[in-house]
Amino acid sequence: MDSGVLAFLHHAFIEPLQQGYFQKAMLGGCIVAIVSGVVGCLVVLRRMSFLGDALSHAMIAGVAGGYLFMKVLFGIEAHAPAMLVGSVIAAVITVALIGFVSRVSRVKEDAAIGIMYTGVFAAGVVLVSMFRNYIHIDIMHFIMGDVLGVADADLLASGIAAALVLTVIVLFFRYFQLSSFDPVMAASIGLPVLLIEYVFTTCVSLVVVSAVSMVGVILVVGLLITPAASAYLLSDRLGRMMGLSALFGVTSVIGGLYLCTWLDSAGGGAIMLFCTLQFLVVLIAAPRYGMLSRWLRLRRAIPQSLREDILGVVLKKETAALATILHELGDPAKTRRGVLTLADEGYLSLEQDMYSLTESGRKEADRIRRAHRIWEAYLQHVGTPAEQIHGRAHELEHVGGIATVSYLDDLLGHPDKDPHGQPIPQDPALMQPGADVALSLLRDGQSGVVSSIGSAVDGTALKAGDSVRIRKRDGQGRWVVLDESGTEKSFDHKSADTVIIRLDR
Amino acid sequence: MSNPSSFPDPVQTPAIRIQNLTVSYGPKPALLDINLTIDPGLLVGVIGPNGSGKSTFVKSILGFVKRDIGDVYIQGIPTEKAKGLVAYVPQRGAVDWDFPITVREVALMGRYGDLPWYRQPSGKDHAIVDDALEMVRMQEFSDRQIGQLSGGQQQRVFMARALAQGADILLLDEPFAGVDAATERAILDVLDRAKEAGKTLVVVHHDLATAAEYFDRLVLIKQRLYAYGTPAEVLHEDLLSEVYEGRLRVFADLVGNRGDK
Ligand SMILES: Nc1ncnc2c1ncn2[C@@H]1O[C@H](COP(=O)(O)OP(=O)(O)O)[C@@H](O)[C@H]1O
Ligand SMILES: [Mg+2]
Repeated sequence: MDSGVLAFLHHAFIEPLQQGYFQKAMLGGCIVAIVSGVVGCLVVLRRMSFLGDALSHAMIAGVAGGYLFMKVLFGIEAHAPAMLVGSVIAAVITVALIGFVSRVSRVKEDAAIGIMYTGVFAAGVVLVSMFRNYIHIDIMHFIMGDVLGVADADLLASGIAAALVLTVIVLFFRYFQLSSFDPVMAASIGLPVLLIEYVFTTCVSLVVVSAVSMVGVILVVGLLITPAASAYLLSDRLGRMMGLSALFGVTSVIGGLYLCTWLDSAGGGAIMLFCTLQFLVVLIAAPRYGMLSRWLRLRRAIPQSLREDILGVVLKKETAALATILHELGDPAKTRRGVLTLADEGYLSLEQDMYSLTESGRKEADRIRRAHRIWEAYLQHVGTPAEQIHGRAHELEHVGGIATVSYLDDLLGHPDKDPHGQPIPQDPALMQPGADVALSLLRDGQSGVVSSIGSAVDGTALKAGDSVRIRKRDGQGRWVVLDESGTEKSFDHKSADTVIIRLDR
Repeated sequence: MSNPSSFPDPVQTPAIRIQNLTVSYGPKPALLDINLTIDPGLLVGVIGPNGSGKSTFVKSILGFVKRDIGDVYIQGIPTEKAKGLVAYVPQRGAVDWDFPITVREVALMGRYGDLPWYRQPSGKDHAIVDDALEMVRMQEFSDRQIGQLSGGQQQRVFMARALAQGADILLLDEPFAGVDAATERAILDVLDRAKEAGKTLVVVHHDLATAAEYFDRLVLIKQRLYAYGTPAEVLHEDLLSEVYEGRLRVFADLVGNRGDK
């Protein structure tokens, strides 16, 4: 039994390693994965994923061009350096053409990318098939890649390219970091932003060119950006992101190679499949930016509406047993936790198994609701998408306290309804009998004596000492008051802010 | 700090001098024939409606946008040669807040201009960064990723970066946008202290109601330079209604308050 397992493990893991082609694939794949992982981080952060795609598609034309050039001029077959240089030239031309087309015409960049790299790719395919008697390269080799057939020359070339690119990135790390994060500042302190961009494009070309022979034109972009994207979800620093990304690249290559020997599948495909699965796992399980943690955070949070509902139920019933509250509201587990939390926070008091609002609980009920609804109104005012309003307001209502809320309230013109049409309560701390309150904060039915008026207000309309009763705001949102003689006076926002009224007792 | 040429004397020369500046994106100029001299040590507000070219104005002082015509001098040096003399705090919307970078790393970027490529930041650089973070009270958030801060905190991180740069001239694009009243105070406080330290600050500002209170001078811009002077000189009803085309309901009030400062 034991020896059976061992034999299986030996067969599955050790035997492939003893094959020369497997070792080479592993070595070449890891070299390529490390460098494309590191470069890929910058590609992702600079939003240049299209570049990898454009470059890989341009390659075949470049390879054919380099091949023909050497063959026709010098009679040398399949001169690898020339094919490499050809690829880079073709890539750079493609990128330049994309920029050119989107600049001189109304065709936007995404369309220009699509046009140019399929065009250059097509040119390569036509070239290779026209000269198929002279050029001995296999198009399928380019399209699919052949990681299991890595030649020594390929290994050497990608080794050199990787060393070169990694050296540049490490030496000039700060420059790449700053010009990716804030190109304006980079330029202002004298960094050659354009040169950095060209150097970076060249680095990406080298990486793509050395990766294509292993995973092929179609998959190379994946190798460039997928590990980087996985790392992005796990890191808060660029350096760490690059390290993780390289690591993910390497694990994809190792995992993918075993996968392809076990399943007897295409090597490049297996590597990218593994890489993508890895990404999906990270996407779900990442501790901070993953879906699972997001979902858990949402679940664990006692929703604002629930807090409000609990306080609301207790407010309505004056005293309520836990069972009553649970009965009134759904989701018992959550509600139970909510009640305990509120009692902990001193908003609910428990006497003989009955919950009631404490003084602060009563104030809190109104304060929370007011803050929450004013934030909602503000968020709508600044154009936050409707589905985010509630959640954002929930986060924001604890920000800055009463002063912030008053400021927003003023900014919004003291609305009395939130975006969902729910009434916004008045500030409970302010609406005490005998308190001096600005007219703009008062609502229909309240009454008091004018204690002062601002200079902007017409003195004949209202004067200190007048008794007034507040009416509903009119159609233009102006504040309307009824004076002793029963005449209606209306005020705009600015004036209403300066009319101070002492509330009746 | 390290002024590449000790002559001309920075006390005598204007902090910023702009001559016949025209900038265009495509067929329509964003800025047209701007002439302006800003003396050192002032806190200058740049006001104007949306799309009036305020950000473009700031970027051309930085030397970041291509000028069609005109010259910009920073302490007497043409802006394209005056690298690092001006520090910049970008508009909030222009920053990628998901970028994997921490508060401290952002502030450290202020030192990059003085660091040759082959050298790592020294203890002195780190000390400068600590001071800058301390000044904006962001020390305790050093290791936070910048996306996990509130709007006001984010703004302060970039101010720390500008301070760490040690430039004499600071440009800030809408530092008060989207922050609450308390944070606005805190930011203003940092601006005032930078001014006391002898820096020249140019601040894009969107709120006319507070402009007179906050700034020594105002630049009123809408493609052209409409006015440059003290708030009392600039906040004129005629000027404002011309620039804002009646989109502003608080003229009377503003013009009424303009004598306050
Ligand atoms: N990169 C750009 N490309 C094309 N047009 C631009 C660019 N940046 C700004 N503009 C245009 O220039 C004008 C001024 O913009 P901006 O300086 O951002 O104004 P502000 O900061 O005052 O809102 C606007 O009409 C804007 O659409
Ligand atoms: Mg702007």
